[in-house]
Amino acid sequence: MSKHTRGMRSVAAAVSSGALLTAVACGNGGGDGGDPELVIETFGTFGYEKLLQEFEEDTGITVEERTYGELEDWNEQLTQNLSAGSGLGDVVAVEEGILLDVMQSQDSFHDLYDYGAGSMEDHFLDWKWEMGHTPSGRLLGLGTDIGGMAVCYRTDYFEQAGLPSDREEVSELWQTWDDFVEVGVEFSESDVDAAFADTTTEYSNAIMRQSGDVMFLDQENELVIEESDSVERAWDIAGRMIEEDLTAELEMWSDDWTAAIQSGAFATMPCPSWMLGQIEENAGEEGEGKWDVARVPGDGGNWGGSWLAVPEQTDHPEEAAQLAQFLTGPEGHLGAWEARNNLPSSPETLQSDEVQNHTNPYFNDAPVGEIYAQGAMDLEPTHFGIGHFAIQQSTNTEALLSWEQGQADREEAWEQAVQDAERIAENN
Amino acid sequence: MRVRNRGAAPDDGNAPPARGASAPPPDPDRAARRSRLWSQLDLKLSPYLFVSPYFLLFGVFGLFPVLFTFWISLHDWGLLAGKQEFVGLDNYAFLLGDEKFWNALANTLGIFFLAIVPQLMLALLLADTLNRSIRLRGFFRVGIIIPYVTSIAAMAIIFGQLFGREFGLINYGLETLGMGGIDWQNNRLASWTAIAVMIDWRWLGFNTLIYLAAMQAIPRDMFEAAAIDGASRLRQFFQITVPMVRPTIMFTVIISTIGQMQLFTEPVIFGQGYGGGTQGQFQTVAMLMFEEAMGAQNFGYGSAIAWVIFLLIVVFALVNVLSVGRIRSAN
Amino acid sequence: MSARTRTARRRAAPATGGARQAGPVTYVALSLTVLLSVFPLYWMVVIATRGNAAIAQRPPAVLPGTNFADNLSETLQNPQANFALGLLNSAIVASITAVSVVLFCSLAGFALAKLQFTGRNVITLGVVLTMMVPVQLAVIPMLIMMDTLDWRGQLQAVIVPFMVTGFGVFMMRQYALQGVPTELIESARVDGCSMTRTFFSVVLPALRPAMAVLGLLTFMQNWNEFIWPIAVLGPDNPTVQVSINQLNQGYVSDFSLMFTGATLATAPLLLVFVVFGRHLIGGIMEGAIKG
Repeated sequence: MSKHTRGMRSVAAAVSSGALLTAVACGNGGGDGGDPELVIETFGTFGYEKLLQEFEEDTGITVEERTYGELEDWNEQLTQNLSAGSGLGDVVAVEEGILLDVMQSQDSFHDLYDYGAGSMEDHFLDWKWEMGHTPSGRLLGLGTDIGGMAVCYRTDYFEQAGLPSDREEVSELWQTWDDFVEVGVEFSESDVDAAFADTTTEYSNAIMRQSGDVMFLDQENELVIEESDSVERAWDIAGRMIEEDLTAELEMWSDDWTAAIQSGAFATMPCPSWMLGQIEENAGEEGEGKWDVARVPGDGGNWGGSWLAVPEQTDHPEEAAQLAQFLTGPEGHLGAWEARNNLPSSPETLQSDEVQNHTNPYFNDAPVGEIYAQGAMDLEPTHFGIGHFAIQQSTNTEALLSWEQGQADREEAWEQAVQDAERIAENN
Repeated sequence: MRVRNRGAAPDDGNAPPARGASAPPPDPDRAARRSRLWSQLDLKLSPYLFVSPYFLLFGVFGLFPVLFTFWISLHDWGLLAGKQEFVGLDNYAFLLGDEKFWNALANTLGIFFLAIVPQLMLALLLADTLNRSIRLRGFFRVGIIIPYVTSIAAMAIIFGQLFGREFGLINYGLETLGMGGIDWQNNRLASWTAIAVMIDWRWLGFNTLIYLAAMQAIPRDMFEAAAIDGASRLRQFFQITVPMVRPTIMFTVIISTIGQMQLFTEPVIFGQGYGGGTQGQFQTVAMLMFEEAMGAQNFGYGSAIAWVIFLLIVVFALVNVLSVGRIRSAN
Repeated sequence: MSARTRTARRRAAPATGGARQAGPVTYVALSLTVLLSVFPLYWMVVIATRGNAAIAQRPPAVLPGTNFADNLSETLQNPQANFALGLLNSAIVASITAVSVVLFCSLAGFALAKLQFTGRNVITLGVVLTMMVPVQLAVIPMLIMMDTLDWRGQLQAVIVPFMVTGFGVFMMRQYALQGVPTELIESARVDGCSMTRTFFSVVLPALRPAMAVLGLLTFMQNWNEFIWPIAVLGPDNPTVQVSINQLNQGYVSDFSLMFTGATLATAPLLLVFVVFGRHLIGGIMEGAIKG
């Protein structure tokens, strides 16, 4: 068995050399003089690759981007590392759904006013700027993008169903959500072999957010899910879609859902601007030219968007704040829009030619800049509250979906939603 | 530790008498005594030294965290708000009345029985089969152990696709055979089945080999005698094989229990999250713990769940151990 | 368990009467089992060697395609998964833990099996009890500890806590009870060897088969560890399971990439198994793992 021991020995050798490698490969670098290295943590697709290169060339500061696949993962990491007091990057993305939760530990972040970010106020949409402040008035985050809202639809299916397929006409077709359900019924009565929508869950999300009011929690963070008009209205519309059997009953972002985009199993989906890139990637070449973008019923609304913050943990607050300001400044907003169609949260950039005249070849050359910017300028933000993200997950993605998929009736699903929301609210 | 002098160190009185009666000089005598003392000390202390790494490491990374978890479970311990309020046993009281916990416990036990009972039975039968003189024995052994060697996360992804409702290969097969597809995630029993299949796929071969080892220790002549007496193969299986490997069965049950009470990876990847389906129809206790601690940032309650899982495992295992002891004495 | 010594019974014994002979039904059943065991792996390879569309293709593809090289480079270059580093890290973690578990567990197991000392039984019971402690459930305080040690995102966070295991100690003890003849130890002692030397020169060679099995099991277990690395490492310095999870977690599911990742994570284990698999099966078969 000497072979065995020899094997062990070579393993040991490999291990020790490997250990050296990792010693070099881990840690955030920095702290050893010279130009600092920064780490920025984001999720999904922020479209920062090119911008970071520019930043490096301009400043000589190297930046590494750590990207988390999914928001849920990132939120978990963010809260864990915040409470642990270590492990975060020098700049972190904070998404709207968890912003208020994070505000609770406002001392864990640098006040960006201390680094000259106060001068950027006029650059942002008023509400986006406001929301970046903690209750005590510190500036915790600078706005990156906003989602905006539209509806993406399959032109070929609409034609087959005898419906108009031109984006203007389609937008006219569904001025209200009631109209939208009507169109859905008409579509489902045709002989097109596809569902009208993927699922009710995100449509109801869009309806709730159009209210410009509160959703699950009020300004005092009290749970108002049972009194909330916007939630009730969303469930009513979703209920009609369910009764008419208009959806493919898919859970958003599940494997089935992505496969369904590929195979064209449904005809419409709610589309914040960042969704465009995802449709393109999921549907691939097969779907090119088949999708188009129409206005959302009821007009306006927003889904998504983040802020960049600088955690107290960083060794280089100065440089980190500089990076955050660059990425959320005019150049950064425009770069992210061009890379990923992430909608700027700055009126000036929204009205710039680069955004206004931007068309998307994959979506039949739809003037996506114009479509989204219009809604974004008029946007009334919705108040979320602490624990919003978790409540939204359990209310929409779980309770509502279980009704849609026939696991529960409205009453049972509603009871589940309220119970789960109470649970989450109790902890906060 | 140095290697001591290689002189003959008389061991515990079994040493041969000193060779040659020529009186040894006094010095070596003292050396011998000293080395005997040293040897005694070595004999006494070495065992403790040998077991110390385990207990050291376990103390730091096992016992302490577990006790600390208990400490946290007595608090209302929020992550971001930074609150740490002592609440005594409130979390445990809440747990007893928590529908979500009982649902998760029911799922955990349900999946456990659905997975383990058929799996161990199958493993017994397979082992019995492999215990016969068959050709290609090595090939079959390798074939059934291969799942055990694959990465759990990787396999959960593959099975997640196989069990997809719309585009899963299994539903395609069912539809081709003229049966309806099954909504693997949304139907409670179907989701349990899918997860149980993943578990069984992985562990069947492993347990088979363990049983096979035990069966090979059964003297052949017992079977031969039974065969001469005209006992059928089935009868031999139930009257000789099963009783003889009963302690091993208990062993596998304990190991499975410890593993299954912490069931996490397969259902998490299957359902892409801690929720375990839209109604928590396949949320296990470990998933609930993570959902509470990481999702809802309720460390206190999450830790209380962790402790209850721990206690359940100990109770299960002790029951098993005691029943093994009883069987042993009965035999 | 009866203490059967390891004999050459693994060789097919001569047929002993029709009762122990296998019929065609047996072969069919066994072949079916092997087929079911291997099929998911085969399906993994089929999709990993084709494009993303192959998942939804009906009737499904049955043969591997020619896309593997492209998928491979795309997977390795995926910025979120950090796959190459994940593979390297996993190899390091699994190797170090395997070597250290084998060494420390052999030491402890041998002491518990073969040496007389006060409290032996209590300690043995202690080991069995600690085997039941689900360390995964102590994630929360473990994270706090890792922060105190400043090990967050560092490999030692997934190595040090697993350098010796209760299961390993117990397994080595069970094996040493029968596999290490007491005479051997005594004669070494008579020769004046210290306990440590006795262990390294006499006991360790006798434990070798069980060591190989334990080493393999530990290697695989740490290669497959999922919960803890995800909690403590993060995607920046991942193990291979974290990398896979990253591929699975994106907003865009590319199955051919996910399956390529799965193949990458599984292939090294299969390779190790092909090389050392004899030990593993032999070890299990020789009753090294007996209750």
